[in-house]
Amino acid sequence: MQNSFSIFISLLKREFLEHKNLWRVPLVLLMIVILLKLSFSFGNLAIEYDLPEIEPLDETIDSVIDSAVFRTLSVVNYFVMIVMFLVAIFYALSCLYEERRDDSVLFWRSLPVSDGLTILSKLFVPLVLIPVIILLCQAINAVVFMGVNASEYLSFYLGFVVELMKKIAWTLLPVISWCMFCSAIAKRNPFLFAIITPVLFVLVDFLFLNGVVSESVVINRFSAANQFSILALVTGLIFSSFCIAVTLFKRAQKV
Amino acid sequence: MLENSSENDNLNHLQRFVEVSGVSKSYGSQQVLDDIDFRIDRGEVVGLIGPNGAGKSTLLKAMMGLLKCSGEIAIFGQNPRKNRSKLLEKMSYIADVASLPNWMKVQDLLKFVRDTHPNFDHDKAIELLSKSDIQLSKKIETLSKGMKTRLHLSIILSIDSDFLILDEPTLGLDVLVRRDFQDRLVEDYFHAGDQKRSVLITTHQIDEVESILTRVLFIQQGRICLDVKKGELQQRYCKLVTKQNIVFADKGLQPIYQRKLPDAMEWIFTDVDKSALQEYGEVVTPSLEDLFVCIM
Repeated sequence: MQNSFSIFISLLKREFLEHKNLWRVPLVLLMIVILLKLSFSFGNLAIEYDLPEIEPLDETIDSVIDSAVFRTLSVVNYFVMIVMFLVAIFYALSCLYEERRDDSVLFWRSLPVSDGLTILSKLFVPLVLIPVIILLCQAINAVVFMGVNASEYLSFYLGFVVELMKKIAWTLLPVISWCMFCSAIAKRNPFLFAIITPVLFVLVDFLFLNGVVSESVVINRFSAANQFSILALVTGLIFSSFCIAVTLFKRAQKV
Repeated sequence: MLENSSENDNLNHLQRFVEVSGVSKSYGSQQVLDDIDFRIDRGEVVGLIGPNGAGKSTLLKAMMGLLKCSGEIAIFGQNPRKNRSKLLEKMSYIADVASLPNWMKVQDLLKFVRDTHPNFDHDKAIELLSKSDIQLSKKIETLSKGMKTRLHLSIILSIDSDFLILDEPTLGLDVLVRRDFQDRLVEDYFHAGDQKRSVLITTHQIDEVESILTRVLFIQQGRICLDVKKGELQQRYCKLVTKQNIVFADKGLQPIYQRKLPDAMEWIFTDVDKSALQEYGEVVTPSLEDLFVCIM
């Protein structure tokens, strides 16, 4: 007997079957990390990095672990996060567009699965599963890089989880909702639609309003991600709910 | 008392198997469906037949719950646009045979349907597919058009549903695949369901589907212009084939259709005494195609 939960699980399975990047990319990233680690074993440690400081470097940890390894790990983990965010964005852009393009949405909708549950599964992938994959990859990277010492890095991890969750709520949620919206309504190219519309918005805003609106609504969400204001959260939530509502409506209208 | 009344309700809903009343739909000023009324009972194979643009697909889409329209559609007493996912457990449809997900492997698709459809019989689907050349490990995009149709039908036939809607299921297929499709439909769906199930089908190949229908609905310009059971067809209509040239108006007979063939004439009559006609030539039952032509 099926219930909503087991149907939800099979919907998630289907997403992973269709969008192979969801599991291929993390595997490739992991391989790169292992290669990098191997190159270290050959003494190739003196690579110069310009580090984006995503977390405050803890002096005690810094002193305990070889600083070069630690800093490389930070870069690698930052890289993992950015790449997986990109995977999430491309997933959201294609997940509803592709099923419309090849008409398979007609078949999916002929099965007794509600549109709400389907959309929920398609939101769950980028907003919950991809962050979980990011955390897992980063933890594995830490173990690969530091071996036993990874426990210290991982204990320091809790702060990073909170940081990631904040990023999801403030930035990823509106971005993914917007991409799903574009995926649901774009006639030809959801990617262009998703990029050009906000760029135009920012441009027009800068021309006429000195960019006051777009700075607070769009740009700050990305550039000054550390400024997690309640206002930004609320506007983001309202915007996301609107996008998701339209997405749901559009799918239910598909003939 | 309460339980009793809800049981009665259920019974009423069962009796109202499929009911379409006063259904209209227009796009702008164009009226696609115009006050459509009909019912379908258990154990019927109904063909919805009409020329292109008559509103066949629109009507079926409305019944599948894909399209909003005015009037009332009740399938097992329920509106197909409300509580759709529950209704789809007992009603299945093929809106478009080219709609299977191309990126999926056949076996993954079967597993997905098994996991999401409570009335899907996975073993039956495998058994139906084993009679065809479709390999379970193949990706759907590698299958030919006929094989995709067969796969889609095999999935639909493996669902224990009560009502099946098919929109042009055999469009663009060769005669062998079409015949096989109809045989599967009758054997594996209609008879397997103890003739308690019903099918509503649209098609261009009237002559081919004729033999499997129990009832015909002709639709033209959004209106049902003929609703006749196959059995009644024989009583109500007859076709006279003769070499003589006869003026029927003198004899008080009004043919609804006449056609000159190279070596004979054909007349079609409705509600006439067949024995009166037999003196002029051979009297037969007109085919659906004949009727289609004279009614449209």
